[in-house]
Amino acid sequence: MARESSMKRKRAVSNFFGYVALIIITIIWLFPFVGLVLGSFRSYDAAVEYGGIVDYVIPKHFSLDNYRFVLGGETNYLRWYGNTVIIAFFVALFQMIIILCVSYALSRMRFAGRTALMRFWFVLGMFPGFLTMICLYFLLKEMGLTQAGAIKGLILVSVASSGMGYYVCKGYFDTIPKALDEAARIDGASRARVFFEMILPISKPIIIYAALVAFMAPWNDYIFASYIAFGHDASYNVAVSMYRWMNTGDYQGYFTRFCAGGVLVAIPVTLLFMFLQKYYVEGVTGGAVKG
Amino acid sequence: MSNASEKKSNSVSTFFSAVGNIFKVIGTTFVNGDWKTKISYLIMGFGQIARGQFLRGGAFLAIEALFIWFVSTFGGKYLSKLGTLGTIETYKKNRKTVYGDNSFLILLFGLLTLFFILFLVICWYLNIKDNAKEEELIKAGKKLPGSKADFLSLFDNNFDKTLLALPVTGVFIFTVLPIVFMICVAFTNYDATHQAPSKLFTWVGFANFKNLFSFASGGFGSTFVSVLIWTLVWALLATFIDYFLGIAVAMLINKKGIRFKKFWRTCLVMTIAVPQFVSLLYVSKMFDNAGIINGTLMKLGIIQSAIPFWTNPTLAKITIVVVNIWIGIPYLMLMATGLLMNIPADLYESASIDGATPWQMFRHITMPYMLFVTGPYLLSSYTGNLNNFNVIYLLTGGGPKSMSYAGGAGGTDLLVTWLYKMTINDTDYKMAAVIGIMVFIVTALIFMNAYNFLPSIKDEEGFQ
Amino acid sequence: MKKKLVSVLLSAAMGASLLAGCGAQEAAETAQDAAETVQEAAETVQETATEVAETAQEAAEEITDYGTGEIKVWVADNVVDFTKGEIDQFMAENPQFAGYTVTVEAVGEGDAAGNMITDVTAGADIYGFAQDQTARLVAAGALEEVAPENVDAIKNDNATGAVVAATVGDTLYAYPMTADNGYFLYYDKSVVTDPSTLEGIIEQCEAAGKNFYMDLTGWYQVAFFFGTGCTLTFDSDNDGNFTGCTMDYDSDKGLVALNEMIELAGSKSFQPGSSAGDAVNYAAIIDGTWDAGTVKDFLGDNYACAKLPTFTGSDGKTYQMSGFNGCKLLGVKPQEDENKLAVCDALAQYLTSEKVQLDRYNAVQWGPSNLKAQSDSAVKADEALSALSEQFAYTIPQGQYPGDYWSNAEALAGDAQTKLQGASEDDVKAALKSFQDTVSALR
Repeated sequence: MARESSMKRKRAVSNFFGYVALIIITIIWLFPFVGLVLGSFRSYDAAVEYGGIVDYVIPKHFSLDNYRFVLGGETNYLRWYGNTVIIAFFVALFQMIIILCVSYALSRMRFAGRTALMRFWFVLGMFPGFLTMICLYFLLKEMGLTQAGAIKGLILVSVASSGMGYYVCKGYFDTIPKALDEAARIDGASRARVFFEMILPISKPIIIYAALVAFMAPWNDYIFASYIAFGHDASYNVAVSMYRWMNTGDYQGYFTRFCAGGVLVAIPVTLLFMFLQKYYVEGVTGGAVKG
Repeated sequence: MSNASEKKSNSVSTFFSAVGNIFKVIGTTFVNGDWKTKISYLIMGFGQIARGQFLRGGAFLAIEALFIWFVSTFGGKYLSKLGTLGTIETYKKNRKTVYGDNSFLILLFGLLTLFFILFLVICWYLNIKDNAKEEELIKAGKKLPGSKADFLSLFDNNFDKTLLALPVTGVFIFTVLPIVFMICVAFTNYDATHQAPSKLFTWVGFANFKNLFSFASGGFGSTFVSVLIWTLVWALLATFIDYFLGIAVAMLINKKGIRFKKFWRTCLVMTIAVPQFVSLLYVSKMFDNAGIINGTLMKLGIIQSAIPFWTNPTLAKITIVVVNIWIGIPYLMLMATGLLMNIPADLYESASIDGATPWQMFRHITMPYMLFVTGPYLLSSYTGNLNNFNVIYLLTGGGPKSMSYAGGAGGTDLLVTWLYKMTINDTDYKMAAVIGIMVFIVTALIFMNAYNFLPSIKDEEGFQ
Repeated sequence: MKKKLVSVLLSAAMGASLLAGCGAQEAAETAQDAAETVQEAAETVQETATEVAETAQEAAEEITDYGTGEIKVWVADNVVDFTKGEIDQFMAENPQFAGYTVTVEAVGEGDAAGNMITDVTAGADIYGFAQDQTARLVAAGALEEVAPENVDAIKNDNATGAVVAATVGDTLYAYPMTADNGYFLYYDKSVVTDPSTLEGIIEQCEAAGKNFYMDLTGWYQVAFFFGTGCTLTFDSDNDGNFTGCTMDYDSDKGLVALNEMIELAGSKSFQPGSSAGDAVNYAAIIDGTWDAGTVKDFLGDNYACAKLPTFTGSDGKTYQMSGFNGCKLLGVKPQEDENKLAVCDALAQYLTSEKVQLDRYNAVQWGPSNLKAQSDSAVKADEALSALSEQFAYTIPQGQYPGDYWSNAEALAGDAQTKLQGASEDDVKAALKSFQDTVSALR
């Protein structure tokens, strides 16, 4: 009895410290987002408050000026936002298809050059990608997919090389017993039928994972997007246009507007992520095990 | 894969015998083949079409036609200048500019044409082999598969080809070609004073590599070494600190008696969901000399003058590693949460009956298991961190700069951010390409060495 | 096995033809054909045109057919609307250019140079850029020489510093647009009572717990070096390649300057940076006219401007802080069509004329480089601009510097704030020597 209660007390104490640690961690982790949201409600109008960087978090006056600015017609923000949504949508769609194709082929079929291909792609991934930007730019330019066509160009480049990111998905397919398709094959089903009618229906988590990861990447693409869209405001994405607000001298005092734009970017991505978090966890876990 | 070492030892002789075999096939097929096969040496796919296999014959023919059209209308003029990268200078006619050869495009499209030629040669060889095979089948009195069977096989036994065709082509054009291009640039004098289209650049051999390893004043040698060391250290810290802390946080949340598990997880996961260019730029401003952190500490009177988070090289390095923990823990936490649940509970039970402390259980049950299953992840995460552009670029841009570095490198520059700056700010493509190759070699060496030690990779089939 | 490989190639070929073949090549081909025909046509047109022009030159003003085309203009975001308005006016005044459509895009001066260098052919025909990029742009073949008939007028009408900045070798490559690229002191009247000495300003900032902001990187640190009488110039040839360097930082004068930088950086009030948008809690900041609005918003009624202060060096003597004076320029990129070049030249000339410079001042407060516009009463009444022009008396026109100068200078600034704090005189001397050795070897 006495031992049990001491155990209980011990556990209560350790849980208490656990909660303290978790609360501290949560505060640290959420602080930038709270700061971002609060910053977005600070006016940039000189008569009210200052729109640059300040050393306090809570705005002195609450205002919607920044949202009015980004959503109003003063900039192309809505256009940039739309561009990013379009890019993210198509990249997610095509990249998912390609990854599924590659993963199925590599997981289920044995053909000459299979391991060689996997190793080759693996090695390719170690070459720093930024160096090849200028080369990609001129390739795309030759196809008319820069500046005005930059959105299509960005989709093409993201999709074209996506086959190399098959690891996680192939790992998932590897865990589906091979006996399943062998039985179907004996019944006369073709490889394609096995793929479409057996494997895909039970791969929902990994399909969603692949699409989700692909959907989130374009929101971050600043470097390459600015490289191939330069000089053509209408084909920028949000990252390109908003990065300017933070880092170009022409945009002094745009900090709070950046915050507002950032909040608007974060909302859909965060919501989507929260809804699909379960699948993401499955993907991350499975992917880690198989590497 | 389990006999990889065995394969390696005789891979050289295998290679030579394979090459020899290829020439043998080409030769004997020509000597022994009928006229249809012989014409196929010139007109690809002719034999197949003549034997009624229209689909595959047509495909070969189409490839050849496409090739001829490509080389004659586009590729040929670039390929012919690949040796010199162009000789015609840009000049002025009155005030009008008449552009000469564009070395950049010559190199790029010359390589593309070379790729195409290689592709054609492979197709040509397959075309010959296919002809030989058909003749053999006919001689044996078997029926050749028709076009319809060929087509259907693309969805059955040859489904892998259908699935992989587009992805492989895409990778070749948009990943392999640019990489080969940049490797070639390392052997040219392409820099700020030799820029297309108004200036030509040309091959210079190993001159740029000599510059990289020159330790004299103005040489890149010592800077390269210090940036390389920081890159390696950074990747090590970023990977392992995040790894252990992530597991710790996951265990804390999973701990018996802790409630609202989902809530804690969701809070942490926000950092994954919010785009990094938003959150990292915000965080970098937070740590600014004039940012919220310094401002608050000074207001509270804890410090007198601002802590130079980004301007002091050592402090900047520490700050980056700390901020990276903030980014990295959520991923690891998610991953570890899933994995920890897979550890059989009876292992812990029997251990606790034996009187093991939680720490002992962690050391002897949790860690070995985690390390075993996440080995490949750790490795790819390490190489990922070697090239972790976003974190460094968005937080410090590689700064602070110091006189002890050449080529505009700064205290927190990784090799990747350094070479990015080199191309963007200084247009020094030749040196950037050399450093790019070095990054590749370093990454590949680390990987190749670690790769073979991983138990879970060695035994791919074992998992199924 | 064989069959498998055949079909992979079949499908790969289809993929390849889709990606590499059709799209790329057709586009390239047609574009090229079109370009060739246009070029041929243009050549013949132009040859005849020059002949005609030569014969008719003495007779009367010839109305040439300038043909048609598109002209792309890049300017900073805040002057896009202004520039559009001025271009409309230009087109209305010059009906002979009616065949051209002009589009204006927002590309900041900093980005413009980088983008032009990435791909000259896709870049703008006319673009604004900061003067430190001139040599780099010339070397990349992204700047056309100013039309010979405009050269004398530009040299006479504009401030010397602006003309120097637009010149590489002995060729004028760009049209000066502003001459307000310099820095001076903004201060808070309620904190800083006497802005004439650096020591006084720092002391009052420290006492009030306020910040003093000054960037110590390449563009700003010359305030100390040139102030003590050092020189640093680079020679360049007409192609934008650097050929030589004059530098005497590794001297007693240089030592005084670097010591002052180190001492300043050691003050607890000192904050690196000269960008008011990123600065907080300051009572003094060394910044340029482009931030006047931001500073005014921040300081409110206590807003005041002055030329840079003097400082007492480690040798006990008093020096006036110096600096660069510079400008924003408008460049025209090399054209393959002489008619279009003529239109671009005329447009660039117009956009940098006295009238437009004054309009621009009134619209966005960019200080003019045109001498007549400078003497306009509204311009003279501007507090920030008059502080700047007072400071300009002590500054040196910014010529061309290699890109690596800026990164090396930034490195020196970094060291002054960290490594050299409290360092011995020998260490400071060694740093100066290594800086001079590196920079003077740059080409």
